[in-house]
Order: sequence, then structure tokens, then C-alpha cells
Amino acid sequence: MFHVFFRSVFGILPLFVVLLPVNSSTCVMENTTVIREKYENILSHDIELLENMSEEYRDRCCRNKRHENPSAFFCNDTQEIRSLQNMACDMLKFFYKKKINKDFRWQTARVSCMTLEILHCRCDREQKNRKVCILLTQPSKDILGAQGPKKKCCQELCELKETISSLRSCWNKFEKEIAR
Amino acid sequence: MLRMTRTSTAFGILLFFLLHTTSGESGSTSEDESDDELENIDVECFSQLEIKEDGHSLTCNFTELDLNNTNINLTICSTIIEKRICSTMEKQEGTYFLYFYGILSPKDVCVVLESNRPYCRSVEVTHIVKPETPFGINITFRKDANEYFIRYKTPHSKKKYLKDKLIHELAYRQENGTWETIHSQYLRVKLLGKSLQMGASYEVKVRSKPNGKYFKGIWSEWSSSEYFQSAAEHPITKSTDMVVVITTVGFILLFVTLVLILMFWKTRIKPVLWPKLPDHKKTLEQLCKKPKKNFDISFNPESFGYVHIHKVDGIQAKAEVECFLQPSAPLDADVSEKVCNGSDMKTSLSAVDKSILKLPVTYGGIWPSDTLSGHLCETHLSMLNESSNGIPYKVCSSNGTQLYNCGPMTHSSSSEDPTVQPRSGPLNTNTVSLIQPNNGIRSSNKDEAYVTMSSFCKNQ
Repeated sequence: MFHVFFRSVFGILPLFVVLLPVNSSTCVMENTTVIREKYENILSHDIELLENMSEEYRDRCCRNKRHENPSAFFCNDTQEIRSLQNMACDMLKFFYKKKINKDFRWQTARVSCMTLEILHCRCDREQKNRKVCILLTQPSKDILGAQGPKKKCCQELCELKETISSLRSCWNKFEKEIAR
Repeated sequence: MLRMTRTSTAFGILLFFLLHTTSGESGSTSEDESDDELENIDVECFSQLEIKEDGHSLTCNFTELDLNNTNINLTICSTIIEKRICSTMEKQEGTYFLYFYGILSPKDVCVVLESNRPYCRSVEVTHIVKPETPFGINITFRKDANEYFIRYKTPHSKKKYLKDKLIHELAYRQENGTWETIHSQYLRVKLLGKSLQMGASYEVKVRSKPNGKYFKGIWSEWSSSEYFQSAAEHPITKSTDMVVVITTVGFILLFVTLVLILMFWKTRIKPVLWPKLPDHKKTLEQLCKKPKKNFDISFNPESFGYVHIHKVDGIQAKAEVECFLQPSAPLDADVSEKVCNGSDMKTSLSAVDKSILKLPVTYGGIWPSDTLSGHLCETHLSMLNESSNGIPYKVCSSNGTQLYNCGPMTHSSSSEDPTVQPRSGPLNTNTVSLIQPNNGIRSSNKDEAYVTMSSFCKNQ
């Protein structure tokens, strides 16, 4: 009887511990007016700079698009914050991709961290992403390491360019939504 | 027994906690004093955005100079993804300086006095912004507009956050005079020439500040001064006055011209510009105008006492017309011989008044004295030579017989005129004529003319 008691008690509790993060939101609700002000006066300029840097790279070779995380490109209606969180967290993974230009990676990580900071969100891979955003507070870019050999066609670059474009579109959509 | 033991133990524990608390409170007086000191310390900070690539700077200093020599440190702490990260500011000649990279979240400025507990105050770096100093002042004088066009530059024009978020203050003054300021959100300002003293030297400088909509802060440092000399004269004012005067005079002249044209259009201008073509019908109507109402017309002989009246028995219009139309018949020899005397008649032709000769003979009245001299024949010839407008003149008796045929003379009708007829025969009793003196004869010419014209109109 005792083993039945312990099994029922100690079996269910871990189940709740595992299931809770799936259903709980990783973003803290913030005043939409504050979010809009920060986006219009600060983040929009950084996204514009990132887009200009992205356009310098040709995407002729981006034909066969293979995406590891397709959900990162959709901006769902009434779930813009969740979509922006997914995009920002997906962009952080490119921080260590040495095939991509160092400055381009640095600016990509800045936009991702600023998006998460404005929305008061955190990524599922909390430990790794937190480390990237902390590293951005350092003045030196040596943490990015030496840049790898440049290649004309880079599948990771194609994916990053598409993610940046989706992030910009989703922010515009969210801004119009909260400006009403 | 057991209860007493438990009670005493509980009481002892409670007393211990109370003592610990009071001792803790009494022991913290020194710390409180230091905290009060830190609270009284006034620290002023300002931020400069994008001062170094993507990095921003924070500069702090103490308002009380006495604290500069003490061992005080300033640290800046911020929370990034729920993790608190602190950095110590560098001490540089009384100020504390630090580079940082995030401007979204507020920063805690903490004053640390040696080993004491730090005192922190939260600051929003976007509200204590001090822009960079403007530069490159350029002054251009526009002579036509009499104004000074001043342009300047700011480093934030090529940066992200403060590009169009600044207001600028331009200060200018005459040499050693008082400063006057102009505010503008653009990178150019116009100074009107009329607001400046002519021929004086001026000094200009600029500074910037966040416009306060999202970014707030303090004025930047003043830019380096630029100097310029104002124009000695204001030519544009003179030319402007002349233009105004000329325009006013022009309008007045135009108005007067229009009034004059309207006044004299029908009477003087239109007949000159668009003269009427002569109309025969209208001209004829004018000739045959009825006399005016007040015209003194009366057929009572008594009212014409001053006028010599020649009675007329009858106007033989038909006979006279026949005389006009029929060709001239050979004259009676006696008559022609008597009339045409010869060369004497030719010489007297020049003295003959043509107007008199041309008068038609409508009745058996008195002929002009010139014609009575019997020069009719010669005058007839001379008139033929001189003008061809005359009608062949014939002198006819009352019974219609042609008495005399002379040259071209205009007359409407003729009656017998025994005085004219140079024949020696007795006068026709039907004709009555009076030989008047010369003045009477001349006045009768005018009457003859009047009567002749009236009979002409009647015949019409």
C-alpha cells in the first residue's frame, strides 16, 4: 500500500513539473504604449540597419530553402508577441555561425536581444541565449572569434536573411495592432 | 513539570529573538548614518548616445566638491534577462565615466563608500541625454532678400537615434553686446538684415538639446563662434520703396486713363477711331431739315420791314425746267449784238463774282448789277471755259419764248426779266421788276438764294 501511495504522489508531481513550461508563457505582459515607444524610437532604427546589412549579401543561391525551424517565419494573428519571440530566439543561434560576417552577426544578436528585452520574453534555451545577450554588453567583439572563410553561397545566410525579413514584417504588423 | 520546562524554553527563545533584533537595530546606527550621508550626496549624470560606434557613455560627478577627495566609487548596474550585471565607472579628474551598450532598461547608479553598503539610484539613460556639440557654421548673405542664411551641422545626422530628435539654439550678438537666441528644429536659420545694425560685426554660436518627445536631457556644449560683418547699406529697402512708389503711380495713372476713356469715348475717341461713312440719305435729310421751332418764320409782309421784298406774280417752274433742259437755240441777233459788246466784256469777267453769276434765276426779279451791264454773253463763255458744272442758261419770257441764251449758270427757274433782256422792246407787262440800288440788290441775292433753295426742296 505504501508503494502505491508513493507512486501516485511522486509520479504525478514530476509530470506537472514537466508539463508546466509547455503551457506557461515565457513573456511577461508589458504596457503596449511602452512597447510601441521603444520600438519606434530605438529598435526600428536597429532593424533598419540590419536590413541594410542584409541587402549587401546576394541571395541568388537561396533557391532550395531548407529551414530547420519553419515556425520561425510565421507571424500568427493575435499571437504576434509569441511569433516575435520565436523569431528572436531563432536568430540568436546564428551568433556562433562563423561563415557569416562578424558585424552582421553582432547586429543580428543585438536586434534579437533588444526584441526580447522590450517584450520581456526569454527563450526556451535560456542558458545559451542569456549568455549571448550578456556578451553583447562587452565592448569588444573578439568574443565572436575569428571569421571563417567567405563563401559565395551560404545556406545559413539565406535562412538568416529570411528570418530578418519576417521579423521586420511581424513588428510592423504588431505596431499597427497596438497603435489602434 | 514538563509544561514548565516547555514554557521556559519558549520564553527563552522569544527573548533571544527580541534581543537579537534590538541589538541588530542598535548596531545599525552607524550604518544608518552612512546611508544618510549617501542619501545626501547629490550625483549628476548625463549620457551620450552612440559616442563610440555602437556604444554609449555615461558621465557622473558629485555636486559637493568636498567629496571628490574621498574614496568613493560609482558602479552602474543593469538587469539583463533577469540577471543583474554591474560595472565600475572610471574616475577621471573628478568625474566618473563608463561605456555601456543597452539603453532600453534603466540603470542603477550606485555610490559605494569604501566598505559601506552602496546607495543606488535608478536613472533612465534616455532622459539624461546630452547631445554632441554642433559644428561647421556657415553664414551666407542673400542680397536680394537682405537676409543672412546660417547653416550648421551635428554629428547625430549620421547616427540612428537622435537624427531628427533635436532642437537647436542659435545665439548671436553684436560685438560685446547682449546675446539674442533663436530656436529651430532644423539645421538652418535665417537672420533678417533689417534686424541687424548696418556695418557692424556679429558673433554666432549654436548648441543642441533633445526635443523631449522620447529623448530628454540637457543642452550640449556651445559650438565654436563664427563672425560676420553686416552690410553697410540696405539696397533692397531702397529698391523696394521705389517699386512701391512706381506701382502706386502706375495704378493711379491707369485709373485716370480709364475714366477719361469712358468719358470721351462716344464724343471724341470713337469718331476718330471709327469714323462714320457718309450716307447720302442722311445727308439729304439733314439738308432738308425743318426749321427750328423758335425760328422766326412769318409770311406777314409787315414783319419784314427791314427787308426789301420783291413781289412775285408766279413761279413758272415748268417753263424754267424746259429752259434748263432744252438745248440753247440761236440767239436773236439783236440781243446777241447788244449783249456781246466785245473785249470790254472779257475784262470785266474777272471782276464778276462767280457766286452771283451762279445764282439761278427763278423769277422775273432783279438781276445782279454785274449782269445788267450786259456781259452775260461773255460770262457765259468764260464760265464754260472755267467750269463745266454749270447748266446752259437761258432767259425766257413769261410766255415761254426764249429771249436770251447765255453760258452756264445755275438756276432753278427763270422768269422774264425785262431788265436783263438787252432788247430794246417794251417791257412785258406781266413781268414786274424793280431796279434797286446796289445794297438792295445784294440783299435780294441772299433772299433769292433762300427762296431758290426752298423751291428746290419743294420740287423734290
